[in-house]
Amino acid sequence: MSATAPSEGFGLRGSTLTLIGIALVGLYLFPVYWMYISAFKTSSEIFADPPTMFPENGTLSSFVWIFTQEHVGRYLRNSLIIAVSTMALTIVLGSLGAYAMSRIRSRAVDVALVTVVVLQTFPEALLATPMFVIFRELGLLNTHLAVVLATTTKTLGFALVFLRPIFAQVPFALEEAAFIDGASRLQSFRLVVFPMVRVGVLVVAALTFVMAYGEFVYPLTLLTRAELQPAPVGIYQFVGAEYADWHRVMAFASVFVTPVLLIFLLLQRRIVSGLTSGALK
Amino acid sequence: MQTRRDAAILWLFLILPVGYMVAFVGYPVVYNLVMSVQDVTLGNLATWDRPFVGLGNYVELIANERFRLVVRNSVIFVTVNVVLQIAFGLAIALYFENRFPGARYMRGLFLAAWMLPPLVIGALWKWMYAADYGLINYVLESIGLSDGPIYWLSNPDIVLAAVIAANIWFGTPFIMLLLSAGIANIPRELYEAASLDGAGAIQRFRFVTLPMLKATLLAVACLATVYTMRAFDLIWALSQGGPIDASNVLPLYSYQLSFEQFRFGGGSAVATFSFVVVFIVALLYVRTIRHEKAM
Repeated sequence: MSATAPSEGFGLRGSTLTLIGIALVGLYLFPVYWMYISAFKTSSEIFADPPTMFPENGTLSSFVWIFTQEHVGRYLRNSLIIAVSTMALTIVLGSLGAYAMSRIRSRAVDVALVTVVVLQTFPEALLATPMFVIFRELGLLNTHLAVVLATTTKTLGFALVFLRPIFAQVPFALEEAAFIDGASRLQSFRLVVFPMVRVGVLVVAALTFVMAYGEFVYPLTLLTRAELQPAPVGIYQFVGAEYADWHRVMAFASVFVTPVLLIFLLLQRRIVSGLTSGALK
Repeated sequence: MQTRRDAAILWLFLILPVGYMVAFVGYPVVYNLVMSVQDVTLGNLATWDRPFVGLGNYVELIANERFRLVVRNSVIFVTVNVVLQIAFGLAIALYFENRFPGARYMRGLFLAAWMLPPLVIGALWKWMYAADYGLINYVLESIGLSDGPIYWLSNPDIVLAAVIAANIWFGTPFIMLLLSAGIANIPRELYEAASLDGAGAIQRFRFVTLPMLKATLLAVACLATVYTMRAFDLIWALSQGGPIDASNVLPLYSYQLSFEQFRFGGGSAVATFSFVVVFIVALLYVRTIRHEKAM
């Protein structure tokens, strides 16, 4: 293994490295494959010994079962409501904040950023106790609003950290021209700055969506009525039992995570570069 | 021209998100501190007027053997996770730092594991850990590493290791990506100079990569610590901290005290311990990335 980049062509060494690379990725992501193929197995094949690496009698019966017997549609709808609302709130607050951080010249910006980064690190399962009491006093228990407000604390810090460098790249000179033409701060933000940061904001929005979509602790704590629960709580109740119908659990999990994996595959390159540029700056 | 009103709007933009975080995280943290010195029950949850018990909740915790086991588990869980995530992450990052067709794309694919909701990962690994029909026992038996099923999640001696392994799988890709970024920032000339001086691959790693990566490693270790200390969903789905607390860690224990035993004061006191640690690590992280100009 060498950390230097050889300058010669790819050749035999390149193909060998590629093959080993494919094997490493395949091995690492094998659990994801296992989740999908388990979902297509029959109730007898799922307990086959030895386990089959590919379903012999592939069936959709687990998918039919979870949608007709387990309210998976309702769970998914609740997850979507929570994820989209959290994403919207996070992106509005995060974009305004990141824009301000890139324009205000003051030590206060530093203080603000450190405050947000530090607050963002507090573990959510430990905030669950005071959150529960506070939202109870506000009369917001058993509302999606409470879950959205709580989950935004997890996504907003992340969004600010990653949006700040994106907004900082927009040259101030462009905005100055707009100001001379009589634009207000709000108009300049909307018409000059935002169009230039659209792609970066889209990536942060996608990651925010994914984080909120998989949120488990806050809905578990703040929602007690089953008809409001999102999919992770549904999957948990499915697994929590002593005995689990694993082909059905995996069918539920597959349906639930497929949108996440699609978002990831579509935006992979941008997500990778976005994450590496934000976290260490 | 920038008017005074415009400047005020800019400050408003800044205050909105920061105010949000202070209101919805800062306030709960303070509220948590208050509850941790009170006797909070389901009965007096709705009132502000709760009996003050001083450090009673803390004293009770420290005297509690269960709590000491949970602290011990947490230290093991976090330490092993951070060390192995960085070790595996560094190994993968270095491998894909080689130039070959598809290297960058494949390196990115690892992140698919990190994108999955932790609760789903817990459910998936619970299925793979199943004693009789699970994938992991099958693989271990067929390559001759074990004879007979291993009860990963019901044997108190190995459940913590099982939970740690699943969390390493989840966390490593992100750590790997951050380390890759750090490695990419090391000037190529250093490697060329080392090669000219006759340094082999291992020496180049020891005398160029590692020293140049020191600041990145510290920042990444802080981030990994913070992320590992918040692990909840994955363990909750896998083992719920059991059997007999063998895989229980601080966030789960706090949650159980509050929401299963309705001892909110105790749950808050457990949370305070974690908050102090997380707060110190977060400050160290901020300091590290502030002082690192090369990044």
